[in-house]
Amino acid sequence: MRIRERHPEPTNPLGMDGIEFIEFATSQPQALGNVLQMMGFAPVARHRSREVMLYRQGPMNLIVNAHPDALPGLSAPGSTPALSAFALRVRDSAQAHRHALDLGAWEMPTRASAMELNIPGIHGVGDSLIYFVDRYKDFSIYDVDFLPLPGADRHPPALAGLHYFGIVQSVYAERSRDWIDFYQNLLGFSVLPGGRYFGILPKGTLLESPCHKFYLQLIEPPPGSEDIVWEESLVRIGLGAPDVLAATKALEQRGVVFVDHGSVQPSEKGALTQVYLGGVNFELVVSHLQPAAK
Amino acid sequence: MNLDDFGMDTVTLAGTLHAKLGAMRAAGFSQVMLSARDIVGDPGGEASAFATMRSSGLRVTGFQVLRDFEGLSGHLHAYKIDIAKGMLEMCHAAGSKLLLACSSTSAHASQDPELLARDLRKLAMLAIPFNIRIAYEALSWGRSINQYPQAWEIIERADRANLGLALDSFHMLATGFSLDGLDYVSPEKIFLVQLADFMWQETRSPEERINTARHFRVFPGEGVHSDEVAELVRSLDRMGYRGDYSFEVFNDDYLQLPPPLVAERARRSVKWLTDHVSRRSLPLRLGGSKH
Repeated sequence: MRIRERHPEPTNPLGMDGIEFIEFATSQPQALGNVLQMMGFAPVARHRSREVMLYRQGPMNLIVNAHPDALPGLSAPGSTPALSAFALRVRDSAQAHRHALDLGAWEMPTRASAMELNIPGIHGVGDSLIYFVDRYKDFSIYDVDFLPLPGADRHPPALAGLHYFGIVQSVYAERSRDWIDFYQNLLGFSVLPGGRYFGILPKGTLLESPCHKFYLQLIEPPPGSEDIVWEESLVRIGLGAPDVLAATKALEQRGVVFVDHGSVQPSEKGALTQVYLGGVNFELVVSHLQPAAK
Repeated sequence: MNLDDFGMDTVTLAGTLHAKLGAMRAAGFSQVMLSARDIVGDPGGEASAFATMRSSGLRVTGFQVLRDFEGLSGHLHAYKIDIAKGMLEMCHAAGSKLLLACSSTSAHASQDPELLARDLRKLAMLAIPFNIRIAYEALSWGRSINQYPQAWEIIERADRANLGLALDSFHMLATGFSLDGLDYVSPEKIFLVQLADFMWQETRSPEERINTARHFRVFPGEGVHSDEVAELVRSLDRMGYRGDYSFEVFNDDYLQLPPPLVAERARRSVKWLTDHVSRRSLPLRLGGSKH
């Protein structure tokens, strides 16, 4: 006899539709740019008024923010690049923003200059921000705020089908429940049942976006790590690849070094790059999400 | 259970924050429940108060107090959200991971449990990025929520990981002492226990409760409800509560005595409590150790 399990379909009140961009902050944008290019990203445009660069690879937009003046309450970019924001595609950014504020999110101050878009956002973990973007179909935020680099291909193809798969976030011990509340209630994420993992680092709590297009992984400090400094922050981007070994090979040919010792070794399930610039690494995860390239 | 499990509220002592913390430390305490007034009233300003706190060597039990927050609407709600944000930012800057919120006394507040829960959810959400837990306490003269089982009902309804219960023995004693409601409370959802006794048998009206609460509290062992206070601590210990206890003793006499003298009374109260609680719970612990 087959028993049909009944899992309620998570709702998607914000009309979420994937990640529009992920942002790094650093005072050394050239060095990070070199790492990103090794990972297959290409610089395509520069912000009109600030030291901000747009990189792109297939469906992925990645922003490198080196603007020295931090928003009130946030730190200025340091020399070690840090994941500082992610932007969610939503049906109506103003409505999504209002919804989050009504439920207890902290508003981020705006800093749009004249004729620039004001992208609404809220505070996330640590110094990071979460933006809401609704202009991503026939008209994009980059059309207004960025100037294309002369001669650059504005839509460089993805290497080995790479696409955004998720973001890993470190949390303090026994804090996963708090952050689950945060993402579940503000943004409609749902916790994947225990034991369902992707990639080669099966730990923590996995949250799935209501649009089923990406994941957040919450990681508490491992037991016995009392002596290491553990902060709450966005720590790593997960990149999906339909064929991880092919993607690993393609990236190795470009000079990327993968961790290859102990339990962490490139496999069909996933791979982990070494840490670059004191704090940047990428995780490859087998994935067939493959959002359509723009 | 020992001295490390107990702390003092700054509201109990006279003088500057520096003098209060020094007296607590000298009496052997390792933690302090901070009042926002001690921070903003510091002669050197908030930054100086935070520095004093950090250099004291004391752990911050929690930060108090957010009042009349839940159940409001329109501009009153917006106003209280601003106040709550300010309190959370101060709480964080003071190195506290717990904010005490008392049940509302406002006649403007709704009595609808769902609206009260909705606002506590919002407060808990505001606290998440700061790694702050919200301890919700039933004030004995609260408008809708004035007994701890009612506070627990709202907390359960709100269902947020960083929202839990604060128990205050004074308020429990003032509204007809009963521990029956603890049977329904998960020990890990009790975020704070504040202890005090008082000198008379009953407080008959809300006005009398307010007056007693603000001027005539005494330390456990000094009042007339010693058995009940000891029974409360014993019950909490038995049910598995391992969190902090803090003496919240508002007393006009104590505020005109030197802080070291009052802190010493607090230390004697810890001894009184641990003697009473340990003695009676000993057989249980022995029984438990056989398995």
